[in-house]
Amino acid sequence: MPDFTDKLSPAQPDGPTTLAHERAQSNVSVKELSEYLLSSDGFLQRQARILPIIQHEPLFSKEKQQNLSRPERFKLGLARAKLLRRLKDKHEWNYDEYKMAEYLVDDVSPYFLHLEMFITTIREQASEEQRAYWMPLIESWKIIGAYAQTELGHGSNVRGLELEARWDSQSKEFILHSPTLTASKWWNGSLGRIANHAIVVAQLLLPKPGLPNQYVSHGPHPFIVQVRDMKTHLPLEGIVVGDIGPKYGYITMDNAYMLFDHFRIPHSAMLSRYSSVDPHTGIYTKPEQPALVYGSLTYVRAQIVHHARLVLARAVTIAVRYTAIRRQFQDRDGDKGGPEMAVLDYPTVQIRILPLLATAFALHYTGLSMRSIYQDTRKDVERGDFRSLAHMHSMSSGLKSLCTMLAADGVETCRRAMGGHGFGGGGGLIQLNNDYLSKPTVEGDNWMITQQVAAYLIKKMTAAANSPDGIASDETDSIFKQFIRNRRSTKSDEAKRDMLTCDRDIVKSFELRATVLAYEAYEQRVHKKQSWNSLLIQLHKLSKAQSQHILVKTFFEALSTEKSLSDSAKSILWELYRLFALFTMENEGFEFFRCNAVTRSDLDSLPARVQELMSRIRPHAVNLVDSWMIPDYLLDSSLGRHDGRVYEDLYNRAHRLNPLNQITFNPNYWEDEIVKGSKDSGASILSKL
Amino acid sequence: MPSPPPDWVKALTPAGPQGSELLAQERASSNINVDNLSELLHTKEFLQRQKQLVELLQPEKVFDKSQNHTLGRVERLQRSLAKAKRLQQLAEQHQWSMEELHAANELIGEPTPYGLHASMFLVTLREQGTPEQHKLFLERAAKYQIIGCYAQTELGHGSNVRGLETTATWNPDDKTFTIHSPTLTASKWWIGSLGRTANHAVVMAQLFIGGKNFGPHPFVVQVRDLETHQPLENVYVGDIGPKFGYNTMDNGFLLFNKVKVPHVNMLARFSRIDKDTNKYIRPALPTLVYGTLTWVRSNIVLQSGGVLARGVTIATRYAAVRRQFQDRDADVNAGENQVLNYKMVQVRLLPLLASMYALHFTGRGMMRLYQENQQRMKAAASPGQDSRGAGPEELRAGADLLADLHATSCGLKALASTTAGEGLEVCRRACGGHGYSSYSGIGSYYADYLPTLTWEGDNYMLTQQVARYLLKSARAVLSGKSADNDTSRILRNYLDRREKGASFDVLENDADIVEAFAWRTAHLTFEALKHRDAEKRSWNSLLVDFWRLSTAHSQYLVVRNFFEAVSTPDLTKSVDSDTKTLLHALFRLYSLHTLEREAAEFFSSGAVTVRQITLTRTTAVMKLLDEIRPHAIRLVDAWAIPDWQLDSSLGRSDGKVYEDLFRRASQENPVNDLVFDPYPWNAAVLKNEPGKSKL
Repeated sequence: MPDFTDKLSPAQPDGPTTLAHERAQSNVSVKELSEYLLSSDGFLQRQARILPIIQHEPLFSKEKQQNLSRPERFKLGLARAKLLRRLKDKHEWNYDEYKMAEYLVDDVSPYFLHLEMFITTIREQASEEQRAYWMPLIESWKIIGAYAQTELGHGSNVRGLELEARWDSQSKEFILHSPTLTASKWWNGSLGRIANHAIVVAQLLLPKPGLPNQYVSHGPHPFIVQVRDMKTHLPLEGIVVGDIGPKYGYITMDNAYMLFDHFRIPHSAMLSRYSSVDPHTGIYTKPEQPALVYGSLTYVRAQIVHHARLVLARAVTIAVRYTAIRRQFQDRDGDKGGPEMAVLDYPTVQIRILPLLATAFALHYTGLSMRSIYQDTRKDVERGDFRSLAHMHSMSSGLKSLCTMLAADGVETCRRAMGGHGFGGGGGLIQLNNDYLSKPTVEGDNWMITQQVAAYLIKKMTAAANSPDGIASDETDSIFKQFIRNRRSTKSDEAKRDMLTCDRDIVKSFELRATVLAYEAYEQRVHKKQSWNSLLIQLHKLSKAQSQHILVKTFFEALSTEKSLSDSAKSILWELYRLFALFTMENEGFEFFRCNAVTRSDLDSLPARVQELMSRIRPHAVNLVDSWMIPDYLLDSSLGRHDGRVYEDLYNRAHRLNPLNQITFNPNYWEDEIVKGSKDSGASILSKL
Repeated sequence: MPSPPPDWVKALTPAGPQGSELLAQERASSNINVDNLSELLHTKEFLQRQKQLVELLQPEKVFDKSQNHTLGRVERLQRSLAKAKRLQQLAEQHQWSMEELHAANELIGEPTPYGLHASMFLVTLREQGTPEQHKLFLERAAKYQIIGCYAQTELGHGSNVRGLETTATWNPDDKTFTIHSPTLTASKWWIGSLGRTANHAVVMAQLFIGGKNFGPHPFVVQVRDLETHQPLENVYVGDIGPKFGYNTMDNGFLLFNKVKVPHVNMLARFSRIDKDTNKYIRPALPTLVYGTLTWVRSNIVLQSGGVLARGVTIATRYAAVRRQFQDRDADVNAGENQVLNYKMVQVRLLPLLASMYALHFTGRGMMRLYQENQQRMKAAASPGQDSRGAGPEELRAGADLLADLHATSCGLKALASTTAGEGLEVCRRACGGHGYSSYSGIGSYYADYLPTLTWEGDNYMLTQQVARYLLKSARAVLSGKSADNDTSRILRNYLDRREKGASFDVLENDADIVEAFAWRTAHLTFEALKHRDAEKRSWNSLLVDFWRLSTAHSQYLVVRNFFEAVSTPDLTKSVDSDTKTLLHALFRLYSLHTLEREAAEFFSSGAVTVRQITLTRTTAVMKLLDEIRPHAIRLVDAWAIPDWQLDSSLGRSDGKVYEDLFRRASQENPVNDLVFDPYPWNAAVLKNEPGKSKL
């Protein structure tokens, strides 16, 4: 319906004018940088190919989804997931193309667990015979699966799981049983309403040899179990399964609860690539290498780290574009009659957003490096060489913890830096915040898993301290041995580092701080025998220091070996490296100082240096976020639109796309009627209860 | 709703020691008298009223909370209006005071569409209207015959009120104002209660008389028809859409196409237009307006402790019930350890527990100051102050308590709301996976609270006002003209001792902790002053320094207020000596944990040594965690937040965490009514509703 507001435009200078100016003032080539970042594995080309197909489908329109109830939103999520799967067939998408389509639609898919943990677990932990039977069913989607490990009472402590799989030597079956309420499976994605099969992790209970009525637990093991009828889709007898209800995010995922009542499954249900039970004797065969069970978890963590860059890049894209357009107050020292200042020119805004812009790049390099380390490790393992597994496991734990924290907090920092409009539905960061905030606690709680890093480093430091002069077995060992030798020598051997101008010294400084913390932890645990619990806070800091060191080092090495980029691109990347590293150092300034990793005068100069770096990056901010090439469709943000039409779009959403404005209320409190003229007496409202 | 589970499920209980047993054990391990502490925090009257209100409200079906997290936006707002109506009916029936209505609203747990009418609309009419206007607008508004809101913020302008674009042009011919929106960015935006509910608004607009702009002024404008509730002609008004939180409020937009209102609609208590001469009459006492803002901010500080307490109560109780892993150093057959025993959980929750007490006592201190000042102002209210500048920060620093109070309220509002908001998220994450469930009761509360960090002065913007005040105070101290207040005292003290250096014994002496915080503030103030006055750095380039300075100053104020509260001799009248000792431990934990986190600043200012900071971290804080740990549950119990208000499976006072999570998931979750068709090649989503789809 046309009205007088159709003719109104925003006050000048408007968004498009401002962004055009921003883009013209920087010599950073968006084309060059975006190809450098995203072309090597065909990401950009894929995005360009898939996007129009997605945008063509009305079902993928995001216009009104924020208004839906949980059941409606879940239905929409499933309908979209189905369509995506059909489009995969229609367009013959490969895995990467399909993932791209999912990424653009931006719903957590209710099929996610089927495609990831379910299939991965079968692939990695099923015997050859089992794989031959199940893989075709899974790949043809004849069955749909989930992965049920976490329980109501146990998450991080997998050994504490309560669900039992008791071997019945008479019938040669396992009996799945939940002895308590806390044994209920909980949080298991895709299982609440969708899956008809699941990998179920349960305590394997076998009779003691010679004592058939006494059972002994052999720890948690995976079983494949049908949970719903293939026709009616209702739970099988002896199984109670459902969705666990609304959450902070993940609205389109049916996280499940599930209980078993003496439910029988055949011997073949136990996935038996690594460990197995002899059906005739009931005797258990152990896995050769228990660490292998961590394989798929490590893969998931590597994926999470790699994805974090795009999450943060998205938030920063929105925040940079909006704060470049948003104006508020005249400069206090400037012309009082002049135009108001762009919010991005306030250092208090810069210090929240620009270090995050730099962080997105830091995550990019570490994500790439983690992926290739994972692939190398996997190859080693397939060859039967398990030496690099512990390192990979420790590194993935620490980086998962740090990187998801950086991205989750970064999204929220960007959202808040946008003031009031960041709180509104047009900001584009609400669902991202809601969905991404699951990451700090899933696949290993961010605080818990840092213990694994610390335990590993203490072990490495112990080894180094025991033979400081031996041949180093790997890089960490070599750094630690050198550190021990330096401590031994009496002369003051610390070469003077120059953090403010020498890029390599920054890496050295991060390395030293992480090493000192590792040494202190080693000393306290191994020599002073302090309790593990009393050290937990310190160990968390150690993990963080180690992971920050990896981020900084990886960033530095990537830039040092880079040969193809133009000077302008390369020099801005170096500035981003410095900003990321020095901003991080400033935040942990006291610890660096205490570890002798930074001098007093450098410490005092850091704030000024960080501010100087920000002012150098500031003119390029819009081009730098443009280089991440995040399409408007994915951003789904009035504030972050590429064309800068912030206010027009906010108004359009409020005025034209908001279903609430089609309802007229009766505001008088003495009348129970809610919708004007409906004479509903409030009854229809209460009927939902 | 789904049918009840089979009997074998109903028969199940959680494994191991039950939540109720674990909490009973926790409560037995501490000798704190919870009732005495509750009364110290809230007063007997408050606790009694709260109990009565819960008994009255909880049984009413309209106030049921079970579907809050599942409903769509449109349904939620309708239900929210139904709640608001019922509350107002009850208020009338029981003749509630404003405090009682407010307390009832807090228990309901979500904002309602009457929110801005009941607060800003009535307050503005009362404070800025003349007696004639009270008769015309306020009397009807008080009876809800007209329903209003407060329309200041615009699409293009929030913090910078002087930048508002809506205009009100005086027409000398027919003695009216024309209210107009010249651009799209002039649209009012974010206006609570306006979107679908209000029929009137106080509109802030730039007053133009004879082509000259006199700045933003308040006008009462009718926006909807009182019969049909449809927008009036040339008024465009609606709800701005879904948000991160606050979805039970109809925040609105509003545009005017040359709408005329009569002379009487400009609220004229402070400034007005003479109808006959068409002349503008200047405000008599501009500072009174700032008084209201100061009150609003002080209130935010006062409430922040309770906001944080909600998250801390939930997370602490849950961490006492949740057990995970055996202690690594314990016997292999030992049971799993309560999560609350882990140092890395303690270090997240217990400092927040201390913070909620710190903020509460600080808020009280602020309120007391505000009331003292109001009385003094009323006594001294006299003409002859017209020569003042535009804002209180322009006043001669220290000459007036108001300036101090204003700066204090700005800084503390920023620190307190940030601490509470971010603290809630820390609590949610400390609950691990279950914290992500809506049934944790933290996520949606956090989302509803977050606007507090932005409204009534964006937390970052506000810090400039604090810095400005501290710089002026420092200049006054240097020129020997400083006032007799605490700010001047700490600045002078720093100058006197700067050469000798500080040697505060923060590890042993509580009063020295307060002095160390004061020292750091003073140090940062003079550093900033050097940058600004001697080095002539631009204001803009110093904003980050100012933000740090304001944070430091506000932390000092919290530490000082907390110290005074736990040191007052009156305290022994309300609580026993063990409780008093524990409150001192909370004071130390808040202070030393803060000191450790801001270690670099304390160290560079010379307030403490590296060795002291290291000892704080490795010894003092750890000891305090051990000391407070056994009392954690009683310390949150003392806050006396009713279960119905917490609305949390994890935070229940009876510890039945798992039973309640399971009950809600299986019984109150409408998704489980639906049977889905999982196969992608069947476009139908549901099996029990084939082919039909709203999508």
